[in-house]
Parts: sequence; structure tokens; C-alpha cells
Amino acid sequence: MAHILFNSLLVTLLALPAVVFAAGPWPALRRLPSALLIAGLLAGATAAAISLCHPSPVASDLSSFTPFPFVLSLDRLSAYFLLLICAVSAPVVLYSAAYVERHYAGRRRIWLWALLPLFLLSMVVVVTASTAFAFLFGWELMTLFSAGLILIDGDDTQRRQKLFIYLLMMHAGAAAVVASFFLFLPHAATLDFASMRLAAGLMPAGLRTAVFLLAFVGFGTKAGIVPLHVWLPKAHPIAPSPVSALMSGVMLKTAVYGFVRFGFDFLGTGPAWWGYLALAAGALSGVLGVLYAIAEHDLKRLLAYHSVENIGIIYLGLGTALVFTAHHAPGWAALALMGALLHSLNHALFKSLLFLGAGAMADATQTLDIEEMGGLFNRMRTTGTLFLIGCCSIAGLPLFNGFVSEWLTFRSFLGGATLSAATAAVVLPVMAGVLALIGGLAAACFAKVYGVAFLGRPRSVEAGDAEEVPLAMRAGMALLAAACVIIGLAPGIVLRPLSAVVQELLPGASLPDGALSIVRVVPWLAVAVIAVSILIVWVRRAPRITPTWACGLPGLNSRMQYTSAAFSKPLRKVFAQVYRPDRTVLVEPADQPYFPASISYREVRTVHFEQALYRPAVNGIVAVANRLRKLQTGNIQVYLLYMFLALVLLLLFMRLA
Amino acid sequence: MTYALNVLQLMLLLAAAPLVRGVVACLKARIQNRRGASVWRPYAELRKLFAKEDLVPPTASPVFRFSPVVLFAATVAAAAFIPVLNGSALLGATGDFIMLAYLLALGRFFLILGAMDGGSSFGGMGASREALVSTLAEAPLLLGLTAVAITARTATIAGIVRWTLAQQVFHLSAVHALALAALALVAIAETGRVPVDNPATHLELTMIHEAMVLEYSGPSLALIEWAGAIKLSAMMALLIALFVPWGIPVSLSAVGLGIALTTFVLKMAALAVSLAVLESSVAKLRMYLVPDFLGMACVLSILAVIFTALMR
Repeated sequence: MAHILFNSLLVTLLALPAVVFAAGPWPALRRLPSALLIAGLLAGATAAAISLCHPSPVASDLSSFTPFPFVLSLDRLSAYFLLLICAVSAPVVLYSAAYVERHYAGRRRIWLWALLPLFLLSMVVVVTASTAFAFLFGWELMTLFSAGLILIDGDDTQRRQKLFIYLLMMHAGAAAVVASFFLFLPHAATLDFASMRLAAGLMPAGLRTAVFLLAFVGFGTKAGIVPLHVWLPKAHPIAPSPVSALMSGVMLKTAVYGFVRFGFDFLGTGPAWWGYLALAAGALSGVLGVLYAIAEHDLKRLLAYHSVENIGIIYLGLGTALVFTAHHAPGWAALALMGALLHSLNHALFKSLLFLGAGAMADATQTLDIEEMGGLFNRMRTTGTLFLIGCCSIAGLPLFNGFVSEWLTFRSFLGGATLSAATAAVVLPVMAGVLALIGGLAAACFAKVYGVAFLGRPRSVEAGDAEEVPLAMRAGMALLAAACVIIGLAPGIVLRPLSAVVQELLPGASLPDGALSIVRVVPWLAVAVIAVSILIVWVRRAPRITPTWACGLPGLNSRMQYTSAAFSKPLRKVFAQVYRPDRTVLVEPADQPYFPASISYREVRTVHFEQALYRPAVNGIVAVANRLRKLQTGNIQVYLLYMFLALVLLLLFMRLA
Repeated sequence: MTYALNVLQLMLLLAAAPLVRGVVACLKARIQNRRGASVWRPYAELRKLFAKEDLVPPTASPVFRFSPVVLFAATVAAAAFIPVLNGSALLGATGDFIMLAYLLALGRFFLILGAMDGGSSFGGMGASREALVSTLAEAPLLLGLTAVAITARTATIAGIVRWTLAQQVFHLSAVHALALAALALVAIAETGRVPVDNPATHLELTMIHEAMVLEYSGPSLALIEWAGAIKLSAMMALLIALFVPWGIPVSLSAVGLGIALTTFVLKMAALAVSLAVLESSVAKLRMYLVPDFLGMACVLSILAVIFTALMR
């Protein structure tokens, strides 16, 4: 059953572009692509759910169609990530059905609907591949199709530049991933996952470390861990909103999948410093990601920085799990891994929801700058409520899903104290403080976003005239929001299948006592909070509406409200070392002493450590390229000489080897 | 029976919360050589506010009226985690102190939203400052609780209480001293007392909490004030439960319960006196010195965690 459903997902995604081009000219068939896509994704989600509960060997051997071994199969880990991809993409596609109609016409619309299924297909291939070639094939296509989707919104110089950085970083990362696969070759007969798993046990420690480091860098680039994140805040905001949702929410998770596959499935137990490396990357990404986010007021760039933060939280969990496996505490490792995997799903849900919300807000106000929004709640009640759920979830507040995964991660940090190694016993509990700081900053940031964009007075004419978005868009967001709330209130639904996934990766691990107590407590907590709330709302009377006291002056206007920049100012000042702002204030004096003719203020944030890190590398590459240019004389005789020399060298090499 | 007792101790915490505020205010007045208002004044104020009309700005959204409700509910739920007269609490499970910290965060998040919804500059000003203080207080709060939990080898607040009850006073280690110092600083910041915030001020240059609730009136304001009082009592009760729980009976009996109640009242009174003395003798910190204040709490709590590893 799962097999048929999975194959129908593949066929749908593969065939859809042809259908889109064929159906393009007929307006009657407008809804066809989205309907087919949703049906295919639901089939995929069902297949994933079935194989998550009853693992039966689902494998599609497509090697006969391709020149290399190409097998897709569903073990529990693959099924979990397939479920993540399908379950999150389906509402996004539903949203897109209306969004694309409103924003794209003609060829751009057709291309978007043609590339979207291919992009989803490439991600499905990545998480279900069980041969290296299939994995790398999907991995490369994922980058290319997402770049194609970004180009649909235009290709001016600035966008091309950002896209170029994206492609460059992705290819550098892919090179590391390819290398980490090929390092298995001398020990593994073929590059299918089963023989790689066996080979990993036979490899010398140095080689295993090399594989781990390459995988860490390769997948870390795609995941966007600091300092490999520079592409993320450039590439994600310039895509169409539903594509941003898929890139941030879903595509980054394929990197988490890859890292888990390598770190836990192939390599198994490693030295503890692997874990500390991941923890350091997680802590750095988490704290810096959220700090950069707080300083932003472009909604999509802010959300992109929050992806860096959440990837940081996921890596905190993964690193903790690696430390525990190194110290032979599989139970605690299982708990930490569950936290990381659940946070992957949660982040996919709430980040997609927030990006879709950002799209809806941009749709209503024609801007992404939250300083130009304000008071949207009264004009967009549904979007406002759903976006609030997203904000609460990403801020890790109780009763929402983000809290559950952060709680699991916190809980696993506490397990560090049970280890005999002093480093682990100090580092892991201290990480609880780091996670708390990240959580606090994220809550402050989303209080800012929501307060500035949805509450108070409209800050621009467009915000004052905003209208609610169409039903399909609201329905897409509502499905994601519902998932956030359900996981937040009844985490057992996901935690039980997830513990089976983790059991598969860490055989024989039994979770520590009371590790999943959250399943029991959260519903009571919800009952307590909701009961008290309902009681109060029920007894109180209707309010009287009266203007805000304006200190006796003629009245307040929207310019008197705190802006996003003003809200984040204290935090930016405290963490000034991180931002190192370059600020210029020009005051033009006038005749009166206290009322200058004009004040101009300009603040540029250059990320210093990025400059320090990337500038030398870029300079080095340019210098080498300049040297190499001397070889290209343009003289054909010289090129013939090169060819001759190359031939001689090859012959010599063959002779000597 | 235990269950009834757990409900009773939560009710005690909720009902006595305004009294604690009143006592602190009265003691402060005495120390400053004023006569001060009656200790029951907070109750009268709550009654007055509940009887009044709720005024809402025309531009505000439903979030404005919903926020105080969430704040109150979340604070009550957080208080339900704290053992007062009994070795257990109404809500509790492994890792419950994380839930307690995050429930307070939930209430604060909505209070900030409510403040931003007023549409004036004061709300935003208070919200921005509150965001600063609470963000920086989060890490030391959780680290301090983590350190105590590790020492007691349990991850529940009730478990920590039972473990501490089995110890002698002088057996408590440096971890406890450091964690107590860190958590006391955090409690001052979280509840908005001097030197971080001044609950008696209405000066826009310095106010944090008062600026946030400036647009609120009537029952909504009453809920916010009551929630603030509950938070203060809950933090005090939490410090008592974690560090000086002696007096809580190990097994249930009427006499034990009486002793528990008496000792709890005495300990709360002692904390109230020290809070009043502190508030009368220390000046409020400049806004940008608050991060240093919380940085100190952070360092103390990290030291506490490090000591847990060194002292086993």
C-alpha cells in the first residue's frame, strides 16, 4: 500500500510540469496543477505515515532508467522526513493556489507551477535515496530548482548577485558532501547506504573523522550554520513567499537529515569532540541568528535570520546527542535526538506559517517593512490570529509546538550531569543557559514583529486600507497553525512515532525515566490556562471605547508609536559588540537653537566576522585566478603546447604508476 | 487528601499575594519614616478596579483585552508548580521548572503585546524595556534552577524540595549559595522591584512595568496587578521551596500542616522585610546598568553549574 502511494507521489511530481505546460492555455484548467500537487503530496504523506508506523521495505529501484544505481527506499528516518516534506508542502501549495493567481500571470505562472513540483521532487529524492548517486542527484537538483524559482520574481543585477552567492556556497557545500561520500569508496564495495553503513565500522579513525568533518561542513552550508549562513538571509527573502516558506521550512531540513544520516546512521559512535563541534556551531548560530534577526525590520529577512537561529537549536540537540553517544549514554542521546528531530518538524511548520503570513501581509500592504504596517489585526483578523500562533510557536511558548521540542532539548542538557566526564557535566548544563537566552531573545523579537505589524495604529496609508487575503491562502495558513497547536497540546502524537525513529538510529536505547513527562503535563497545563481564561472572559463586561490620553495635546498619531527600530534599541545597545554599527548623524543647524533644519541618520551594519572570514578567501581566489590568467595567452600554438605537455605528463604518470 | 492540600496551597498563594505586596509597601513606608497605607490596601484597590469600567482605545485590537487574561492564567498556572505547604504541587513532572520559567515568559509575551496595542508611545517604551530585562533574566533563571536540580539529582521542583528536606542546613553546598544569589537577583528583575524597576514610579524616564500598563484600566488592570502580585509571591515561595523548605511536613498531619503554615508565613515575612530594606537602601539602577546586574546573576549561575560538576 505504502509502496503504491509513494510511487504515485513520484509520478505526480514528475508528470506535473508536462501537465502544466499542456494545460497552460486553458483558463478552465487553472486549478488543475495545485489540485494534482496536493493530491500527490497527501498520497506521499500517507505513505510516509504508514511506513513510520509499520516499517515494511518500500523501495523503488529506478536503476533501469538511469545510468547509475538509483534506489529510493523508506526506512523510519526517511519516512519521518518524507512526512515532514509532504505534510508541510501540502498547505503551502494550497496557499499558493490563490497566491500565484494574484501575483503571477502568463509564462511566469506556468514556470512557477512547473518548477514547484520538481523542487519538491528533488527534496523527496534526497530524503528517500538509499544510494549515493540518487542522493547527490537530488541534492544538486534541489539547489538548481530553488534557484530557478527565485528567478521567477525577476533577475535584476542585485538579485543575480545574491543568487550567485547562493549557488556558489551551495556548490562549495555540495563538493564537501560529494567528497564525504567518496571517502567511503575504498572500504565500501558500492555506494549504497547499506554497504556504507558496514564500511564505516571498518574505516580507520582518521578517515571517519575526515568523513564527519566533510559532512559537517557540507550539510552545515545547506543548513545555514554560522559562519556558513551568509547565503541564507540573501537568498530566502528574494524568493516568492510560498517558495521562501518551502526553502526555509523544508529545504533546510534535508541538510539536517543528511547530517543525522551521516553522524548517527553511518558513523555511529565517534569521539566526543564531534558533539562539541556541533554544539559550538549550534550555540553560535542560535545566538547570532536571533541577534541579527532582532535588528531587522524587513519581515522576510528577519524570518530568514530566525531560520539560522532555529537551525542552531536543532544543532544543539544533535551535538548533545553526539556527546551522549560518545560517552555511551544511548538513552539520553535518544532524548536529545528526539528533541532535534521534533524541532525540525516544528520549525518546518511554524516557519512556513510565518513566511506564508509574511506573504499575506505583503499582499495586503505592498511592503515587507514592518515599520510601514501596524494595526493589521483589525483588518486581517484571521491572518492576524494565525500569525500570532506562529509567533508564539517560534518563541517557544508553552501550549505551542516550539516549546515541546525546546523542552526536550533542555531536558537532555540536564542529562549531562549524569556523565562521569567533567567536560560534558559542565558544558551540557551550561548550554541550558544558551538555549534560554536564545528563547528569550526570540520571544522579544516576535513580540516586536507582532506588536509593530499587527497591533497599535496603522503606520502607513496602505496598512490602513489592508484587506484580508482570499480563503485558500487563509486555509493554507490555518492548517499549519492547527498542526502547531495540536503538537503543542498533545505532543504524544508525534513523540511516539519519533521514539521509534530514534530507536532505529540508536538501537537498544531506552529513554531516561520520566523523559516524556511533557506528554502528561502539557494537557493539564492547557486545561489550567484555558479554563482560567474562559472563566475571566465569561464574567467580565463589555468595555467602553475611548481615546487614549494624549497628555492634553490634540491627539496621538501613528508616528508617536514606538517603531521596530526603537523597540530593539536597548537590546542592540547591550549587544553592540555583535553589531558594531557604523552610524552617521548629520544635523543641519537652523536659526533657532533647538529646532535644526534637518537631521539625517544613516546606519550601516557590516558583519565584521563575515568580512574577516570571507574577504581573505575571496581575495585569495581572485589573486590565484589573476595568476592563472597569464596561462591564457590567446595564442593557439601555446594551447597546443599545453595539450602536448598534458599528454606527456599523463603518459609519464601511467608509466610510473 | 494530598490533592486537596495542593489546591489549598495554590489558593493560599493567590489569595495572599496582594497582602504580600501590601506588607512590603507598609514596611517600606515605616523604614522611610512614613506611616504608610494599611497592608490591606491592595485588596481594596483590586475591588475598586474590578468594579470599574474597562476602557479600550479605539485603535486597539481584541489582543488588548485578551492579553491580561493570558497573563493572569499563565501566572496562576506557574504558581501551581510551586510546593508551599506540602512536598508536592498541583502540577509537576520531571523538568517542570522549565515549564514554570516558560509560563512566566508566556504571560510576559502577551503583556508586551497588550502594551504595544495601546497605540501610544508609553506602551512601546515599557514593552521595549521589559523585553530587554526579561530576555537577559531568562538564562540565569534557568541556569540557577538547573544547578539546584543537578545537586538534588532530580528534575522536579517537588523532588528538589523533598531532597533538601532530607539534608541538614549546614550540608548545603556552595552551589546553593551561588544559585540562591543568582535566583534572588533574577527574582528582583522578574518582579520589577528596585533596583531594576520601581513599582511606585510614574516617571517616563525610568518606568518599565508601569509604562506597559498605562493604557489599562478597570478589570483588565486589576488582572495585571493581581498577576504581578502573584508573580512576586510565587518567586518568593519558589526561593523558599528550593533553599529553605524546612517546616514542610514529610508526612501529612494536622500538626505538621500547622507548623508548615507558620514557618511559611515567617519565611515570607522575613523575605518581605529584606525586600523592603533593600528597596529603601538601594537606588534604582540606570537602565543600561540593568544588563550588568543581570550579567552578574548570569555569572553566578554559571559558576553554580560548574560547581555542581566539581563537587560531586
